Amino acid sequence: MKLKQFAIVLLTAGSLSTACTKVLDVAPQQSIDALTAIQTADDVNQLVIGSYSLMGTGQLYGTNLFLLPDLLGSDFNAGAAAAARYATWVGTFQGQRQAFRKQMTRDNSEASRTWIAAYRTINNANLVLQNLDKVTDVAERNRLEGEALLIRGVMHFELVRLFALPWGATPNNSQAGVVIQTTASNNKDEAAAAAKPRATVAAVYAAVLADMTAAVGKLPASNGTRFNASTAQAYLSRVYLQQGNFAAARDAANAVIASGKYSLNASVAAVFSNRNTAESIFEIQQNDQNNAGQSNDGMATFYASLPGIGRADVRISNGFYNLYNDNDLRKREWYYLGTGARPADPANGVLNRYSGKWKSFSQNLPVIRLAEMYLNRAECNLRLGTAVGATPEQDLAQVRNPIRTNLPSIVNPTLADVLNERQLELAFEGHRIHDIRRLGGSVGTYAWNADILVMPIPAREVDATSGVITQNPGY
Amino acid sequence: MRKLKPMLLMALLLSVQVLWAQISVTGRVTEERTGTGIAGATISVKNGTANAVTNADGNFTINVPQNVTLVVSYVGFRPQEVPASSSPISVRLVPGDNSLNEVVVVGYGTKLKRDVTSSVAKVSARDFENLPLPSFEQALQGRAAGVFINSGSGKLGQALNIRVRGISSISASQQPFVVIDGVPVVSQSLGSATEPDNPLATINPDDIESIEVLKDAAAAAIYGARASNGVLLVTTKSGKQGRTKVSAGAYYGWSEPTRKAKFLNATQYRELFTAAAENEGYDAAEEFAFETGTDDWNSTNNTNWADQAFQKGSIQQYTASATGGDARTRFLISGSYNDQKGILIGNRLTRGTARINIDHNLSQRFRVGTNISLSQSNNYRVPSDNAFSNPIQLNALPPIQALKAADGLNNRNTLYYNNLIELEGNNRNLNKTYRTISSAFLEYAIAPGLRFRSQNGIDFTNFQESQFLGRRTLDGAPTGYSFDNQVTSTIFTTTNTLNYNKSVGGSGNIDALAGIEYQKGLSRGASVEGRAFPSDRFTRIQNAAIISNGSSSETEFRFVSYFARANYKINDRYLVGVSARTDGSSRFGKDNRYGFFPAVSAGWVLSEENFLKNSNTVSFLKLRSSYGRTGNAEIGNFSALPLYTSLPYADIAGLITSQIADPALSWESTDQFDIGLDFGFLNNRITGELDYFNKNTKDLLLSRPLPATSGFTAITQNIGDMTNKGFEFVLNANILQGGAFRWTSSFNISTYRNEVTRLVSPITPGQRTLGRLAVGQPYGQFYGRKYMGVNPENGDALYLAADGKTTNDYNLGVDTILGDPNPDFYGGWNNRFSYKGFDLDVQAQFVSGNDVYNVAGFFQSVNGDYFDNQTVDQLNYWKNPGDITSIPQPRLYAGNGAGKSSRWVQDGSYLRIKSVNLGYNIPRNVLRNAKIESARVYVAAQNLFTFTKYKGYDPEVNTTYVGNLNLGHDFYTPPQARTISVGVNIGL
Repeated sequence: MKLKQFAIVLLTAGSLSTACTKVLDVAPQQSIDALTAIQTADDVNQLVIGSYSLMGTGQLYGTNLFLLPDLLGSDFNAGAAAAARYATWVGTFQGQRQAFRKQMTRDNSEASRTWIAAYRTINNANLVLQNLDKVTDVAERNRLEGEALLIRGVMHFELVRLFALPWGATPNNSQAGVVIQTTASNNKDEAAAAAKPRATVAAVYAAVLADMTAAVGKLPASNGTRFNASTAQAYLSRVYLQQGNFAAARDAANAVIASGKYSLNASVAAVFSNRNTAESIFEIQQNDQNNAGQSNDGMATFYASLPGIGRADVRISNGFYNLYNDNDLRKREWYYLGTGARPADPANGVLNRYSGKWKSFSQNLPVIRLAEMYLNRAECNLRLGTAVGATPEQDLAQVRNPIRTNLPSIVNPTLADVLNERQLELAFEGHRIHDIRRLGGSVGTYAWNADILVMPIPAREVDATSGVITQNPGY
Repeated sequence: MRKLKPMLLMALLLSVQVLWAQISVTGRVTEERTGTGIAGATISVKNGTANAVTNADGNFTINVPQNVTLVVSYVGFRPQEVPASSSPISVRLVPGDNSLNEVVVVGYGTKLKRDVTSSVAKVSARDFENLPLPSFEQALQGRAAGVFINSGSGKLGQALNIRVRGISSISASQQPFVVIDGVPVVSQSLGSATEPDNPLATINPDDIESIEVLKDAAAAAIYGARASNGVLLVTTKSGKQGRTKVSAGAYYGWSEPTRKAKFLNATQYRELFTAAAENEGYDAAEEFAFETGTDDWNSTNNTNWADQAFQKGSIQQYTASATGGDARTRFLISGSYNDQKGILIGNRLTRGTARINIDHNLSQRFRVGTNISLSQSNNYRVPSDNAFSNPIQLNALPPIQALKAADGLNNRNTLYYNNLIELEGNNRNLNKTYRTISSAFLEYAIAPGLRFRSQNGIDFTNFQESQFLGRRTLDGAPTGYSFDNQVTSTIFTTTNTLNYNKSVGGSGNIDALAGIEYQKGLSRGASVEGRAFPSDRFTRIQNAAIISNGSSSETEFRFVSYFARANYKINDRYLVGVSARTDGSSRFGKDNRYGFFPAVSAGWVLSEENFLKNSNTVSFLKLRSSYGRTGNAEIGNFSALPLYTSLPYADIAGLITSQIADPALSWESTDQFDIGLDFGFLNNRITGELDYFNKNTKDLLLSRPLPATSGFTAITQNIGDMTNKGFEFVLNANILQGGAFRWTSSFNISTYRNEVTRLVSPITPGQRTLGRLAVGQPYGQFYGRKYMGVNPENGDALYLAADGKTTNDYNLGVDTILGDPNPDFYGGWNNRFSYKGFDLDVQAQFVSGNDVYNVAGFFQSVNGDYFDNQTVDQLNYWKNPGDITSIPQPRLYAGNGAGKSSRWVQDGSYLRIKSVNLGYNIPRNVLRNAKIESARVYVAAQNLFTFTKYKGYDPEVNTTYVGNLNLGHDFYTPPQARTISVGVNIGL
């Protein structure tokens, strides 16, 4: 009898508890299982968009790929020439401060964040390439493939510019570059296989050019606000210029200008305050809700000093500001005395000045503008004694267009004129250290190829690969 | 739960039919101190079977053989033996906590302490009642051996660090599993804030009867995959048979910070920064103007910013309860209101609770009952340590800047954000929690000794965050910011158990349990964020022009578990126990769905053996040992799945990879060996416990670092091992007893040695932090550059270099071991004195040998590297060649000594007079006229004195934003509060 009761109780208990293994299968609601995530052409398209999203984060074009080159290229010394001081990092964030003061350590947070995000973007692009078979429409497949290739090329290019001794630092560019990653990681074994030695700078540039060149052939002429064939050409121009391959840089820039798709805005402010203007070749899309950040990341976050906007962490040197002609509209439109954090107090001689290019959290972030292409073509034509597309004088006149700048054109400009125009036009858009390097300049006492101007490979990366990925000299 | 024991005894009695010549003995049992009758006390014959229970007034009648000795016992009191000769008998019971006849709560049941073969620490209501505790777990600090508690910070309603027997995990939870009246509850933060809130702060400490901590595997393995960090079993008070007792209490207290750090005044500030600027060729006034956009360098301000972070805190609590019942129904009804105003500006926590506990005998065989608790709390929170809005960060502001601007409002033109602005107008940062932890049970006595119990419980929490920041604030500018977040969490648990208890072969006893449990946890949330308000008078998102963010979330887990336990006892002398549990969980990878967690234990009561039985010295001696396995399933709900998530790109959303996973992912498992000795000397006047434990945790869930070149930085795998070994020693003594002046004392001391024994690769410190993991080293060891002081020749900061010499180049320095945040030992010493109507409790608590790293050092103690105000010790900087000092030459912006190093590592040992409670029981003859049964007035204090060499605020510190690994890190972390309160308790 006791046994029977016992059995009844156990049965009751069993049924109350609905004890079967099925109940243990719970699917996540906020994410999807990777094994079933990419099934259609639309999924592949979403992956490409995801790569743009990643490029728009503060680690990449959302902030760091603009900010770090300018901080690295600023001379922090008290006795530095006024113009060479360029930008001053006054914020408390250690990572940026180290970059500005040339005191980077191997655990520098910004080096680490940027490296990680760039490879994350590369992996997303590689996943696109791996899943292209899901896209049946040929035009669509070519477009997505071209975008993925260009994204991969661009990220490798940005990485090698920041994390390796510059192009030209050794005669055959055999110095360590970065890891070239052309396959996706779908599981732990593939992920572990990514622990590969750094390729040489020469090899990385070759891979970058291969991806970008292939992208030119795959991308359509227009593609909304996403990468198109001209974007690839524009990036190619940048890469060639960095290598000192002036002919190729000129021709690529010429191709962009000749496409006729772009024109300079009448107002120099418009490309920053409006979205996707005629002058813009590629810009990161942002809005009120989705942007790189409003407190710890974001261009306006660091650069702005407006009521309620910005930390005013990057102050513009008045010496650099004074390089602009007083009549130059850019001087007026692109600079202002702070009125928010770390404000100016002109009555007491406090002239805290900030970049007017970055004033809104939600503004789009122009990465490549047509002006850069004119300047590239002008510089290359001048150096090569050619006039492909237009003469340097004509190109410079485009940039100095009186409506835009209220400046007279320069007759028979010299290389110095073009380079001066370049630093005025492209100021605080992330070109500074890259130009110093390719022009063989210096930052204070540090020569263009100094170890300390190269960002450290993240310590975590060296540790995680047990040294397969080597550290840069000086760290 | 305590009702079970008499019931079991009754059941046993029924089966014993032998009767001898009997006499009837009557008597009354009273509480020695107040003289009131004790209801529910047990009267039994020594070494016999007869048993009776006192009625509501403390009276009893029992039929016993002639000339026997009666044993009168009641929980919380020392048992007393009286000859059953003269009737009526008057028995006055003396309180005494650590009696070995005490009942302790174990998983799914209770046990006599003397029969326990595992390691369980118990803290009873009496130990912490009337103390102004921020939340109930704090009662364990210094009272439960083997339980290390670090309150983390002085913010109200913040999560505490509770570590049972060392640290048993790295990436999974390190906090114990919390079960309240048999219902597993949410004890981890639900909120969105960087710093975790503490869901346990919603529980009224006065409702709690006891807290048991299951420490070794034999005790905890019955909770299987969730027991590796120990288990906290919280038992609430229950109704007692007898006249309905009404009691009410109230207290009010005042609080202030335990300690404060010292910063420069205006004159000192100018002196330091003038030197710092000149040494680098700058003009201090000009640089200050550049950095701040003000000419405050030339002002006459002298503001003590650091002090602005604090306010005079207060605490008040009002409680009332009624308890009573008859033979069939027992009940307890209680309510409380608690209002704490923190020592930090803007910090406040209020809590209202209500509880009904009822149990009812439907018939001889059926019993039903329910515990229902409701609580609502409002937590006005202080921002994260790492936020500019953290009030403690005010100490970074230069004293030469004014508190108020010319317009009389808070000055906005300060070096950093003047976060006093956060407290203006309508700004708020409020967390509201509505919570019920409730359960109902049914018990059925199937046959003598065989009992079925079914319990269904729910922990339902509705957590609401509401924040508004006006246009003058840092994050609310320029047009105001509002954030609302709601999270609803439900944990449903159904437990069905069979309990079997039987005497076998005359001297043996078997106690067995089998059960099945199903648990489902579901959490849903929705949040919305708005900006652009017409004015600061509008604070709701309805009035926002821009809905800048919105989100909803959902996550779920399930467990299906089977468990069993058997304990066998022979001759009251030999004790054996086995238990096992199988846990299946949705969290575990498909290849590893079910885990098995067994444990065995044995005890030998030596004092029952002939060679000790008649000893006058040794009254109790038990050797016990256990071995078993437990798990840790707090590994995240979906860690075993590779995942994609979405990431928005302006107006569209893209797909990105978010997680790469190991399909074999499973729980962490801990094998623990424990050996212990329970002893009592001199008729148990001195009792105690000594334990040694050795915990081996395997398959630690670890974020294994991946080369980021893979697109991922880490994969969660079971890849680490760790050990924790240690001793625990508890000594209780009735130093003075019997006379008018009484003194009982209880001392405990514990150690743990943690060692990481397997890792794939070391986990290195972050940019700001020092904590790391390396094989052969303790968890969270401090590792980095060793600061070697100052070069007397030139004032350069020096670091240890690879060649063993020193270098002034930080990048040439080498990383070495800099300290250990784990304590060498910790514990407490509690003393209870009573004299006539007076009683005094004094509890001291100590931690020794742990290091603390002040992360804020490189802002505030860095010889004027930047314009942050500095701690006063920085004035002793290097000035001239030959100066011997540890403070380098001040060099503005130059980073002289600013690298992360041992410069800011300090000894964090401390001794605290943790609590003091002095009370006076108003004599009954005074109360009688007022028809009051009892009344006690008291003065209580928390954190009365702190003795430490730590130079920061408070050494009990653990900023949370740096993650679990970085123990003992201080980053503008608020100190603890010292609270002094007065109160009264009245019983009717």
